[in-house]
Amino acid sequence: MSARQAVPGLLRALVPLGLWLLAGLALAAAFALAAPGGLAETVAVALPLAAMLGALCVSAPYVVAASTLGGGRSGRALATALVAAIASGLLWVVVGSLWVRLLALGPFPAAPARFIAATALFFSVGTLGYLLAIARCHLRAAEERLRAAERQALEAELLAREAELRALKAQLDPHFLFNSLNSVSALIGSDPKAARRMCLLLAGFFRKSLGLGRQREIPLAEELYLAETYLAIEQVRFGERLQVAMAIAEETLTLAVPPLLLQPLVENAVHHGVAQLIEGGEVRVAARRDGAELELTVENPCDPERPASRGTGVGLANVRARLAALFGEEGRLTVDARPERYRVSLRLPARPAVAG
Amino acid sequence: MRALIVDDEAPARALLAELLGEIEGVEVVGEAANGFEAVRLAGELAPDLLLLDIQMPKLDGFEVLELVGDGPAVVFVTAHDEHAVRAFAVHAVDYLVKPIDPERLRAAIDRCRERLGRGEGNRERAREMAAAARPAGTYLARVVLREEGQIRILPIERIDFVEARDDYLHFHAGEEVHRRQQTLAALAAELDPRRFVRIHRSYLLQIDRLVGLDLYAKDSWVARLASGRKLPVSRAGYDRLRQVL
Repeated sequence: MSARQAVPGLLRALVPLGLWLLAGLALAAAFALAAPGGLAETVAVALPLAAMLGALCVSAPYVVAASTLGGGRSGRALATALVAAIASGLLWVVVGSLWVRLLALGPFPAAPARFIAATALFFSVGTLGYLLAIARCHLRAAEERLRAAERQALEAELLAREAELRALKAQLDPHFLFNSLNSVSALIGSDPKAARRMCLLLAGFFRKSLGLGRQREIPLAEELYLAETYLAIEQVRFGERLQVAMAIAEETLTLAVPPLLLQPLVENAVHHGVAQLIEGGEVRVAARRDGAELELTVENPCDPERPASRGTGVGLANVRARLAALFGEEGRLTVDARPERYRVSLRLPARPAVAG
Repeated sequence: MRALIVDDEAPARALLAELLGEIEGVEVVGEAANGFEAVRLAGELAPDLLLLDIQMPKLDGFEVLELVGDGPAVVFVTAHDEHAVRAFAVHAVDYLVKPIDPERLRAAIDRCRERLGRGEGNRERAREMAAAARPAGTYLARVVLREEGQIRILPIERIDFVEARDDYLHFHAGEEVHRRQQTLAALAAELDPRRFVRIHRSYLLQIDRLVGLDLYAKDSWVARLASGRKLPVSRAGYDRLRQVL
């Protein structure tokens, strides 16, 4: 494995070397054209200077980082790039003239004269090379930003999925499931027909609730079917203690609602309301259209001596968060908590559900 | 063995009655649909065995056992409560999960037969289990009391202060005073320490009832309550108060 990886590793190290050689040779060719001379001399001037320019360009990312710090304007970044490039071109020419003087002491006495003749070329190459390096850095930064934005979008999507999953998990309330199964077990002995009916109700409830989670919106009629099935199951458990009253305006049945938005409120009404009362009480579910809005209300009696901490907090917070995420200002949840009565109202835009 | 079934759901009671009826030597003497009925029937019928649902209105299973006190053996029943199940395991108390498995019920009854007549310490155990079954960071929300056959539920919010006298705690709530057998330390351990402060060996104060502290003598203070009542504050109590305030 490591041997196989070593080959591309080596190749990757050779790439900059090759590029540098190529650039050096190109520079040598340009130099020879601008100021003709011996081949050895041309190469001795151009190759080290090409390396020198490469070294200078290493500073380009710092220049880019400094000029774009705090999301600076593009005009400022451009000015900085130009100044840095010109400085780099000048510096390169200065270093070059020192280098050719050094070469003149050795075997290439004509080098300085040729270099002076090609100063304009060296200055432009140095400046343009540096500008290219800066442009490459900007490109890379932009790519990075794009990738970060993609990652963020992905994360948001993930969060939405997670919320959906949590809603579904909460849906499969173990209390409800185990208590219902216990009721079925009880009915099998005393009233087999009622046991069978209970099994069908349970199957209907779970089939519906599992199917709904995957959809973005459903007609209110479907959400109400779920609530009615749920309440019918709980009525088997609680008997006379749980009374149900539905007041649904006909015109609301085809309006769109997010799935499983009403259900947690109905469950709270049973769990935290009626189930906490020895005599029980009535859960009221109402739906009506108010102009451009759909209003859903769940109301239940409750124990005035209920401990303050016995909250319905998590479920309500979840519903509220979903409303806000889906409808913003147009989705509202209001709670009217009195000592003996608890009422939650939802308001959302009244839109017809898309068929299918 | 005489059994009392306590569950607020009729089908659940019917199932237990049916299953217990199949076990030899067990007689169902009563069914209670709520905690108040359970405590009353336990007093009237003196059963050997309680089958006790945890989740019930007003009084939960732990509170029922606390009020019934010594006497019957107990088997708890719950649909799904991880915290309660952990408390049962810690206190080696028999419990059943719903839906009820007849074999497990039979095994629990067998174990109860062995323990018969040794159903003691129910009250303390019930309180300890209730505390253990509470999720972390939550505290006692109400105190149940039994006075002259009457059951009283005192929400924590209503308590001004608690006074320890002999083996009893006196709960002062407005004009009312209620008492039950417990130590102040045991009660304090179940309450939110940011709300209730032990200002004295014999006094536990709900902090928002305090309106002032007066120096009474060297190292000795008096707490003034909103009701006008004054309570002694010890040196250690003063330090504890300062920590909370």
